[in-house]
Amino acid sequence: MSDAVDTHLQELRRGTAVLACLQLLREPGYGYALLERLVEHGLPTDANTLYPLLRRLEKQGYLTSEWNTDEARPRKFYSTSADGIRLAEALQQEWRALTESLSSLTEPDPAHEES
Amino acid sequence: MPATLTERYISATVRSLPPESQEDVRAELAASIADAVEARLDQGEEPEVAEREVLTGLGDPAVLAAGYADRPLHLLGPRHYLTWRRLLILLLWIVPACALVGVGLSQALIGAGVGTIIGQAISTALTAAVHVAFWTTLVFVILERTGADTGERWSVDDLPEPKETGTGRADLIASLVVLGLVLAALAWDRLIGLVRIEGDWVPVLHPGLWPLWTAVLVAIVLGEAVHAVVLHARGRWSTGLAVMNTVLAVAFVSWALTLFGNGRLLNPELLELARTVGGIDAEAMHTLGVILVLSILVIAVWDVIDGWVKTRRDARR
Repeated sequence: MSDAVDTHLQELRRGTAVLACLQLLREPGYGYALLERLVEHGLPTDANTLYPLLRRLEKQGYLTSEWNTDEARPRKFYSTSADGIRLAEALQQEWRALTESLSSLTEPDPAHEES
Repeated sequence: MPATLTERYISATVRSLPPESQEDVRAELAASIADAVEARLDQGEEPEVAEREVLTGLGDPAVLAAGYADRPLHLLGPRHYLTWRRLLILLLWIVPACALVGVGLSQALIGAGVGTIIGQAISTALTAAVHVAFWTTLVFVILERTGADTGERWSVDDLPEPKETGTGRADLIASLVVLGLVLAALAWDRLIGLVRIEGDWVPVLHPGLWPLWTAVLVAIVLGEAVHAVVLHARGRWSTGLAVMNTVLAVAFVSWALTLFGNGRLLNPELLELARTVGGIDAEAMHTLGVILVLSILVIAVWDVIDGWVKTRRDARR
């Protein structure tokens, strides 16, 4: 695939990582597990993008975190806060609206045909 | 035991983070790397290979640290770049030129040799340019890092007006009138004298200029007239006209400075009268001379640059 196409695809995907994290972390999860679940859902994200992103969202109050020391390896678990859930819903709605708008560009417009 | 690659990687990442978040990031990153390595080991990879692959996948620790600390990875971003560029260009037009003229003037006034004057003036101008570029950039880098606002907003009023390049009829008439006046003044100075001191008319220019050097000056003036006419006829500047403009300016400067340097430009009788009647001492005379030379140089350089700038502007039309 050409570089230009790659760049455009990246532009389009930018921002989806935030929404994906907020949705997946409605159930608490830690960094590496989240990375794998994103891949399972067809949203592969670079580790060096995801880890700083989680901290930023936590700082902004959309995620909360807690250290889990029950297992041999202590891990930081994140989960979506109430604010985060509201943000996720707003983003999801926007995404749906965008999908509809973009689809309408190539579909025949009934209102237009009638006139 | 030497530090493992992972330990070195984590240390390199957290080193530049704020102290209060270092331990947290260190622990979290260690767990994440361990998880990733373990996943690779489960797939049967060699431990060293797995560790290398995981760390390579995470990339340069400085980039990761910038992500954690929310730091920009550029010196100047789009928010400040254009303001920085405009200001820098403006300052680079003004400051080195002022330094050049100022140092040149002061060196000439204390009686330094031509070589010293030129060398000092140019080196000071270069130093000034470097300082301007460095400090301006530093201020903007700080603005970028602190997230400050320069308060610059674009509005439609900022749109540049189309600039005239002086090829209209009025410009031609103005040029020819000025050149005509110069010729008339030359003749008047030769026949009667331009300055009146104690009831007598005294010529300004050296009598020895006649006829050869006067003819050279008349030729330069006529050259300027031809230039003005051709410019009007063509309606735009071209490389040829800019070259002609440059040649005429250089010719005039050479003419004036050669004669002045040899004490053959101004009428010695006038200078003598200035000393006796006007009370201008030798030092003041030297200062006036320096100012005269500098004015001739600055005007000529300005004229040459102006010609080339207009040529470029017209080439884009």
